[in-house]
Amino acid sequence: MKTVFTFLVALYSMSLLAQTTISGKVTDNKGRPIEGANVFIEGAYDGTTSDAKGDFTFTTTEKGNQTLVVTYLSFETQRTAIVIETYQPQTLKLRESVNTLDAVVISAGTFKAGDNSKVSALKPLDIVTTAGAAGDIIGALQTLPGAQIVGESGRLFVRGGESDETQTYVDGIRVAQPYGATANNLPTRGRFSPFLFSGMTFSTGGYSAEFGDALSSVLLLNTTNEADQEQTNLSFMTVGLGASNTQKWKKSSLTFNTSYINLEPYQKVIKQNVDWVKPYQSLSGESVFRRSFENGLFKFYAAFDYAMFNLNQKDVNSVTPLNVDTKNNNFYLNSSYKGSFGSGWSIQTGISFGFSQNKIGLDVNDLNNRENASHMKLKLTKKFSDRINLTFGGDYFITDFDETYKDYSFGDFTYGYRNTIGAAFVETDIFFSKKLAAKVGVRAMNSDLLGKSTVDPRVSLAYKTSKNGQVSVAYGDFHQNPKQDYLKFHSDFNYEKTTHYILNYLYATNGKTLRAEVFFKDYKDLVKYDSNMPLFNSQYNNNGYGYAKGLDVFWRDNKSVKNLDYWVSYSFIDSKRDYKNYEAKVTPNFVANHTLSLVGKYWINDWKSQLSVTNSFATGRPYDNPNETAFMNGKTKSYNSLSMSWAYLLSQQKILYFSVSNVLGNNNVFGYQYANSPDLAGQFQRQAITQPADRFFFIGFFWTISQDKSKNQLENL
Amino acid sequence: MIRIITSLVFFICGLAFAQSPSQYEQGMGKAMGLWKEGKTAEATAIFERIASVEKTNWLPNYYVAFINTIEVFKSQDKSKAPAYLDKAQQALDNATAISPNNAELMVAQAMIYTAWIVQDPMANGMKYSSKAMEQYYKAQAIAPENPRVVFSKAEFEIGGAKYWGTDTKPMCAEIERSLGLFAKFKPETAFHPSWGLDRAQEALKNCGK
Repeated sequence: MKTVFTFLVALYSMSLLAQTTISGKVTDNKGRPIEGANVFIEGAYDGTTSDAKGDFTFTTTEKGNQTLVVTYLSFETQRTAIVIETYQPQTLKLRESVNTLDAVVISAGTFKAGDNSKVSALKPLDIVTTAGAAGDIIGALQTLPGAQIVGESGRLFVRGGESDETQTYVDGIRVAQPYGATANNLPTRGRFSPFLFSGMTFSTGGYSAEFGDALSSVLLLNTTNEADQEQTNLSFMTVGLGASNTQKWKKSSLTFNTSYINLEPYQKVIKQNVDWVKPYQSLSGESVFRRSFENGLFKFYAAFDYAMFNLNQKDVNSVTPLNVDTKNNNFYLNSSYKGSFGSGWSIQTGISFGFSQNKIGLDVNDLNNRENASHMKLKLTKKFSDRINLTFGGDYFITDFDETYKDYSFGDFTYGYRNTIGAAFVETDIFFSKKLAAKVGVRAMNSDLLGKSTVDPRVSLAYKTSKNGQVSVAYGDFHQNPKQDYLKFHSDFNYEKTTHYILNYLYATNGKTLRAEVFFKDYKDLVKYDSNMPLFNSQYNNNGYGYAKGLDVFWRDNKSVKNLDYWVSYSFIDSKRDYKNYEAKVTPNFVANHTLSLVGKYWINDWKSQLSVTNSFATGRPYDNPNETAFMNGKTKSYNSLSMSWAYLLSQQKILYFSVSNVLGNNNVFGYQYANSPDLAGQFQRQAITQPADRFFFIGFFWTISQDKSKNQLENL
Repeated sequence: MIRIITSLVFFICGLAFAQSPSQYEQGMGKAMGLWKEGKTAEATAIFERIASVEKTNWLPNYYVAFINTIEVFKSQDKSKAPAYLDKAQQALDNATAISPNNAELMVAQAMIYTAWIVQDPMANGMKYSSKAMEQYYKAQAIAPENPRVVFSKAEFEIGGAKYWGTDTKPMCAEIERSLGLFAKFKPETAFHPSWGLDRAQEALKNCGK
């Protein structure tokens, strides 16, 4: 009996003895102890929390091969394989998580609009609450440094580059025709309503190898991944009507958005500087369908836009004004899929198709053109760890353009081109530590029409200098096919080329951001021609060249004064080019040396109102006066425009919105058009290129109908 | 003697067999106790360890999410908030993967969104308030009688209504109704969520003020 008892006691004690002690120390990678780290054996209850010295001790009854896990807030979770029986106390070093918000970010050249990202210069809301932007994405971007104010165009001109040096992408897929139809010297708008987009990246240079065929800049727009809720939005505006509706199902959602714009009633009331026969009218719509799968998301985006207008444009070369009668048909569709598979792999692929047709009557003559543009893309990313990933993929672009000029006296001229571009890219992102990160990539491109290939290296580095400050540098080569205006007549070209060098400093604390950037851009192989404008019989070559250098400063603060959010952008640029039909290397006519924008938004709680003020200022721009011998020697007076808007929330879902652009009615002059030949006195006569109207007034009523009654359209204004 | 031995044998065997469930209960009980004492880091650590074992039980992950979210509401230091909320979101995603149609988890998700709103109302308000409401509507459809669903939804709506100067009476009525539901509510086990009664009583006191 006694032996049995002893045996049992021994057995029991043995089971006590079978407990192994696991101890050690938890530190950060500099050896500083971490208190409060959770140390445990995976899949067992055994574990403990480290003490003030980082030390931990616990016992376990587990045996054999096990995983020791250490977790701690904002540090990477560490898993160590151990064998319980042979375990020796050890020091476990944790690495700070590079996914946290205070990790270094590559910021050279980039402005982001998104949530919870510290490099965000703009919030999605800003597109629409910025006075003077009038709900135009491009209009809002023009208040950022690096973008030039070119009032007669309305397009994006970035750092001494022309507007077609910027490419626009929706969900990673190119948009061939991002701007609406317009006449010569009248501003256009971006085609996209901010309504459907949630994230945006505006790069003013040094961008990723994923993108190409753009000398200056890329604008990346992402449609919302997920609809918040079912809702209907109605807009009643002085310029037209709009409606949108979102339907949501378990795994998919559909949003459509349509608007009818007619400027006729408005222009009857408000005097215009332009002689409109039939003011601008458009019917447009967009729709997004989203379907989520277990490991991915499919999106289908389609947009159509039908616009027409007719006006008489004064022309210094003729006694009677030129009648311009334009009808534009535009259709764009884009489908994309983003998903993950295997271990650490993700895929992004898509295809887009754009169709644009213009029928333009120029007095008795007609200009008709048609463009079909497609883009196919495949991008794969392999994430090796939180610190290293590799991205590679390819693009295939097809552009088909035809134009017919029907001359009343000389008959028809038909011309056009077809170009296919194949491109491949590979890029890696490496975090050496929470403080140092690099992005290194290369892009190769081959254009079928030019019959030539290029290879573009791209490198950027970012280093965190202090708790809130960081420095980034970027270098890259960028090649682009010559623009449509040339390719439609001639194809024996080389690529145009720039090299970007960027040094960026970013300081961001809660609510305040300072961003300063210096850049140098070296332009080579720009197209030159020998006639008044590019023509089928012009002589073309790639002998043009130039440079742009300057400083961009951005300061935003929404903390110092309660309810006030403001930003200041300043750009200095020095740029000269010898290209097109220029006689010498001069500053081109779209470049103003100094640009300053001030944007302020003030929320008045008692009035449930947001007041917004924007002031844009730019020094004069060059123009060429043929009455003087020196080329491009004239300079316009400086530009200034003050815009204000007031959004009043009648109730949570009803908004009344007023805005006036150019409140002071400044008569801004963008340049001069000179006569082709001198008058009897030997002088070339001129006419100023000015704004289509002194001021623009806008009144709108926006009504949201949804189940929860909290959502409104403030973000779309 | 035999009796002693027999009982000892039963005791040891019992210990050996009962080990697994009791360890869970012990762990949960200990973590709950630490949490009540305000030792949130230790409590989270234990819940996290339990979650690593109990791969089909949503509760430990739920508490990791819940405690880290509450931490953000309590803390004055805004700089740590994103880290807490990321941790909460991760844990909640794990819990939701285990139990997809769970009203309690939807309430927790709505609270994470609310915490984001509190961080930066101007930037996050619009976006997250509709997301939070969506969670409450989904939760309401699944568990219309769950007192936490009824109370949390009403409390969230009061915030908006006060700001807009609209009538808070319907929400106050809902909070009052939730008190009755709290009284009736029986959690499945001792460790299932049962919080909220005191907060609801407090909120009702402030109603109409």
